[in-house]
Amino acid sequence: MFTLRAFTCYNIDVFGGIDLKFTFKRGIHPAGNKQISKDVPLAVFPTPAVVSIPLSQHIGAPAALAVAVGDEVKVGTLLGKSASFVSANVFSSVSGKVTSVVKKRTAIGTKCDHVVIENDGRYEEVFLPALSEITAETVKARVAEAGIVGMGGATFPTHVKLSPRTPVDVLIINAAECEPYITCDYRLCLEKAKEIMEGVRYMMIALGVDVAYIGVEDNKPDAVRALSEVAPENVRVLSLVTKYPQGAEKQLIYSVTRRVVPEGGLPADVGVVVDNVHTAFAVYEAVALNKPSYQRAMTVSGRMCERPGNYFVRNGVSYEDIASYAGMKEGTMKVISGGPMMGFAQADLAPSTGKGTSSLLFLNDDEISDGDKPISACINCASCASHCPMRLMPMFIERAVEEEDASKAKALHALSCLECGCCAYVCPASRPLVLSMRRAKKLIKEKGV
Amino acid sequence: MSQYIVSSSPHIANKRTVSGIMLEVLIALAPAVIASVIFYGFYALFLEILSVGAAVGTEALYNRVMKRDQTVKDCSAMVTGLLLALNIPVSAPFYVPVIGSAFAILFVKMLFGGIGKNFANPAITARIFLLLAWASVMTSFVKPILWSGGAKEIFKYFACIVKGPSGLGDVAAVTSATPLASLREGAEKVKDLPLLAMFLGNTGGSLGETSALAVLLGGVYLIIRRIIDWRVPTVYLATVALFAMIYGAAKGAVGAYILPSLLGGGLMLGAFFMATDYATSPNTKTGLVVYAVGLGLITSLIRFFGNYPEGVSFAILLMNIVTPFIDKFIRPRPFGFVKQGKGGAK
Repeated sequence: MFTLRAFTCYNIDVFGGIDLKFTFKRGIHPAGNKQISKDVPLAVFPTPAVVSIPLSQHIGAPAALAVAVGDEVKVGTLLGKSASFVSANVFSSVSGKVTSVVKKRTAIGTKCDHVVIENDGRYEEVFLPALSEITAETVKARVAEAGIVGMGGATFPTHVKLSPRTPVDVLIINAAECEPYITCDYRLCLEKAKEIMEGVRYMMIALGVDVAYIGVEDNKPDAVRALSEVAPENVRVLSLVTKYPQGAEKQLIYSVTRRVVPEGGLPADVGVVVDNVHTAFAVYEAVALNKPSYQRAMTVSGRMCERPGNYFVRNGVSYEDIASYAGMKEGTMKVISGGPMMGFAQADLAPSTGKGTSSLLFLNDDEISDGDKPISACINCASCASHCPMRLMPMFIERAVEEEDASKAKALHALSCLECGCCAYVCPASRPLVLSMRRAKKLIKEKGV
Repeated sequence: MSQYIVSSSPHIANKRTVSGIMLEVLIALAPAVIASVIFYGFYALFLEILSVGAAVGTEALYNRVMKRDQTVKDCSAMVTGLLLALNIPVSAPFYVPVIGSAFAILFVKMLFGGIGKNFANPAITARIFLLLAWASVMTSFVKPILWSGGAKEIFKYFACIVKGPSGLGDVAAVTSATPLASLREGAEKVKDLPLLAMFLGNTGGSLGETSALAVLLGGVYLIIRRIIDWRVPTVYLATVALFAMIYGAAKGAVGAYILPSLLGGGLMLGAFFMATDYATSPNTKTGLVVYAVGLGLITSLIRFFGNYPEGVSFAILLMNIVTPFIDKFIRPRPFGFVKQGKGGAK
């Protein structure tokens, strides 16, 4: 209820005294729907006979092709070499033969080269050489070498984040998992807590920070417990208020540290680096096991999925293969790569999984909002503004876009928009506000204001 | 064509729709409608139905003639029509709410582009129009009916259907003075006001204003359902109460004016249902507070010092006009806002 929430901002006995609850202002409370897959332990997804591995699985320049058609590859063979500082290496996830390199659509709708490999089913491995010592420099070099990117879905190359331009004093590990349906990070916290903690330790060494926080939403108390049991003294596991978008970088930083990242700035500007919990696990695997990044934990869920669950999926498995293994039912209305708030609707099942594919959802008509609400004119209720975690005024930005007024859109801070979708979620007139925000950003860029 | 729906994120949404919001407002107005029937009989209900019908009909006809998408399904015209009816005394002839509703929908809402685009609250503007066009009808208030009086008494205000108040024939039944008019007649007179009757509604007034209790019930419902922001009614009422206290202190009776000011006239209906109109109230929480203080001040100034006994409608219309300026000057600072040219963030 509205008033109760206002009065429960104060939480007694967080660190033995009265402290603020770990949360941010505004945001929304969508139905979690995590019960569908949360109790299914992580299993290994049976890799199909053919995989096609995208060379762009990250933000930044696509990796440069490093193999030729006909080459024999092993698990861990470099397929694509990092093409600039903001780029990442891409590795083979199977052993077998490269049969072709094709241009294909990725889950986010852009096209890039995919290396198609015939899987021989032997999974012979060529991993990276062992590190002789663990220092900031060797860890950073290993993270870059292993092609690790932000695995929460944003896929920003992790070695860039571990080399901040200003000194940092806090590392925050994002295990909030605030998107509905997704449970892969939760399973990882339960089943790989020790490994995650090792990864966090390596990242702290790389950054030279003394304190790390792991933020988990309080709808996953057993994950908090599992992590707390293995956490050393300088790593604090925090139970965050369950609210979307708790896992958004700037909101998470505020929730945990009360620091506010300045507009247009980076977390490092306030002395913080945020990385996803799955990234920490990948860092562990790369440093301790010399394993490059070629697979990830992934949730397959939705009510049109016969066998929802959490799987370790090798990169390059097509959505078609996942759909048939997980039992996508007849009559699926929408297929989403990622979560329902920020994920991408798929026109077909052709794309393949990558480092950032945290989930694949098969949804029915009841689960999605398409057609639920009639689209009408804006009634000026200001719900979008009162729920915007960035304190923007989406209805005015939308109007600026309709008038093609780039400078007005910029003055309304459209560039600060996270595209988290809270505005469109609450809009009673069902305005496509996120689309308007994207158009506003494009307009500002085009007109160069 | 793809076999799956492809659309922009987010792919889920909450259940609140425009028509849902309007239906909630109609539910919240139910106690006021019931109170109007209890105190004035079935002619009150007849006027309300007529007014809603005229509002919906005007919008439907306008959309048809102008070849626009039909928008009556969003139920907002029903809300406008009902609110206008609740602003009219029971002794009004049938054409007054009909013309008022048509005016509200056509001139204040549709000609400005329909829902969300109106610069002023349609019902309030129409009320002011009616007040100017049919001053005597709009300020003639009659006594509540007696349910023990038989069918003749219960249906007696149907006598007003064509001729208005004069149809009653009995001049003594018509009183032009509402409790509010006594506000300027000295502290002694104010102390004699029937406060309980004003709270329950057993007194002269327009259909929806007569019972403060009924309006309050609906208003609290809207706040609990999070349809309206609590700030507008709370700050509005508080400002009026504070002003009444200061005025009372000047007259040597500090507390005497507070309850009559709060319970009298259209304040409750205006504060909960008319001032909270989305399109014509500011878009920020701070803006809403400024707006509500303005409403309270203008209302009180007109009531105590103006020519009209009631100031709620004028206050809302004036503040509606000021709203775009409030929104222009009070803007939320984005999360992480850095003031330009002041050295940036630390």
